[in-house]
Amino acid sequence: MVELLPEGEKVVSNEQERAYFKRYKEDVRERGKPFFPYAMFHDTVMSLVVVCVIVALTCVWYFTSGEEAGDAGILGPRYADEADPGTTSFVPRPDWYFYFLFYLLRIFKWPDSVILGTVGIPTIALILLLVLPFIDRRRERRILRRPVAVVAALLVIASMGILTYKGATAKESLAGENVELVDEWAQVQGLSEEGIEGATLFAQIGCLNCHTYLGAGTPNLGAPDLSEIGASGQTAEEFSAYVANPAEFGNNVMPSYESQGEEVLRLLGIFLEESKGEGGG
Amino acid sequence: MPRAKSKRRQQAGHLLMVPVDWLEERSGLVGGLKYFLFRKVPRDSNWFHTLGSATLTAFIVQTVTGVVLAFYYKPSPDEAYASIQFITNDLTLGWLVRGMHRWGASVFIILLFLHMGRVFLFGAYKYPRELNWLLGVGLLVLAMLEGFTGYLLPWDQTAYWATVVGINLNATAPFLGPFLSDFLRGGQEIGTETLSRFYSMHMLLIPGGLIGLIVLHLYLVIRLGVTSPPWSDEAAGRERAEVVTAKRGLVEPRPRGDGSVPSPSEGTLTGEGPR
Repeated sequence: MVELLPEGEKVVSNEQERAYFKRYKEDVRERGKPFFPYAMFHDTVMSLVVVCVIVALTCVWYFTSGEEAGDAGILGPRYADEADPGTTSFVPRPDWYFYFLFYLLRIFKWPDSVILGTVGIPTIALILLLVLPFIDRRRERRILRRPVAVVAALLVIASMGILTYKGATAKESLAGENVELVDEWAQVQGLSEEGIEGATLFAQIGCLNCHTYLGAGTPNLGAPDLSEIGASGQTAEEFSAYVANPAEFGNNVMPSYESQGEEVLRLLGIFLEESKGEGGG
Repeated sequence: MPRAKSKRRQQAGHLLMVPVDWLEERSGLVGGLKYFLFRKVPRDSNWFHTLGSATLTAFIVQTVTGVVLAFYYKPSPDEAYASIQFITNDLTLGWLVRGMHRWGASVFIILLFLHMGRVFLFGAYKYPRELNWLLGVGLLVLAMLEGFTGYLLPWDQTAYWATVVGINLNATAPFLGPFLSDFLRGGQEIGTETLSRFYSMHMLLIPGGLIGLIVLHLYLVIRLGVTSPPWSDEAAGRERAEVVTAKRGLVEPRPRGDGSVPSPSEGTLTGEGPR
């Protein structure tokens, strides 16, 4: 954000800055208006508007929704079902002001770059925000004479807006739709009986919220495509152990699925081992 | 008779002032309040300048409703969800309090961004207000953390799974990541420990930080004053030469044209021409 200096203008020295502030103080003292009642009137009106907007949102939210969990009105439900660590088919969704972060993770979906989305870009953005007054040292405040600042601001607003919108409208794959694909998978991969059972579980418990499989699912958080995972030569037991506790294998992003129980893990392992891709089988 | 009455009224007035004087003599607070209320602000300050106090109002709404919610909310996985249902459906006006807390959070964040946008637009982060910009960024970060920690408290599926993902994201950070996520989780799984932690951070640690930063932020606003709109012809602190250029039409195209709402009180103090 080092701005292009218009002709003849220099970066202000400390003395000029101090002179400006001295002039500012004089102007305000001599020609300013008292905070009370002038500015305070504006502040009071605005504060009342804020409270009214909050109450209005609350009323719309409450009176259009029902007591049942998930009974959504115009502004969403009062609450979803009670938290249940056992179900993994639930699609995680943050509050709206984290949507931009949420969607950023979909852009950086490859395992090596996911850290850019989770930590890299937010950290860089925060640092830029913090150092802004130290980069932009010119005294010019008129917006049309701050081209770099204007462009930067517009870019930030546009990208935040787009990311928020995309995050809000992002579609998750539904467990029901995924289960219908199991027959097709069984044909392509030549799955065994137990492999098909594993595939059905795979479709149901929400693996496809982060992983992709033969074109299905939404890539998230850097989770890899699993269509050919079985070609890596790992055994079903190894896959089960990994899914039970990914952190043990150095994967801190994927949650533990140990709570699903041994049988589910065993079938998932078999399914993953048999998934050797279209060329395998 | 009327004279006696006015005398009595005068005495009553003096009597009223006794506690005020008492307080002033011992604290100087009355003088401080007077300074706060009657300090001068730039004559061209307008509706744009209300975004900061609007944000503060939203924060106060959060504080008041938060305190009431804490009366009834039970931060344990067994009881949290039921207590939220009780507050929303059974408690008198509980729906209003919880709804205002929930939607107030969104309004708070929106106003923070708008206020920040205004400061950016006005170039108000420049000398000597750089420090206040830093405090403002700190406030924004803490407010987002409030959002993150508060989201888990209803202990429903949305809350739980969003937090699972959120904590896992923290874990991807280099070096500190795994420690941070262990600290947030308070164990292997998200459960009792996590909920207590989030509750404590949400209503003690982060609000404490917010209040501290808000006090410093306001102190600097009062000490340094607010900036005039940059397009104003009578912006406080402008260089006199700039006025001449403006009159010649070099800056003319945008005196007041870009969406500024002229304040109703503007012009009430006219009579003094530009110097």
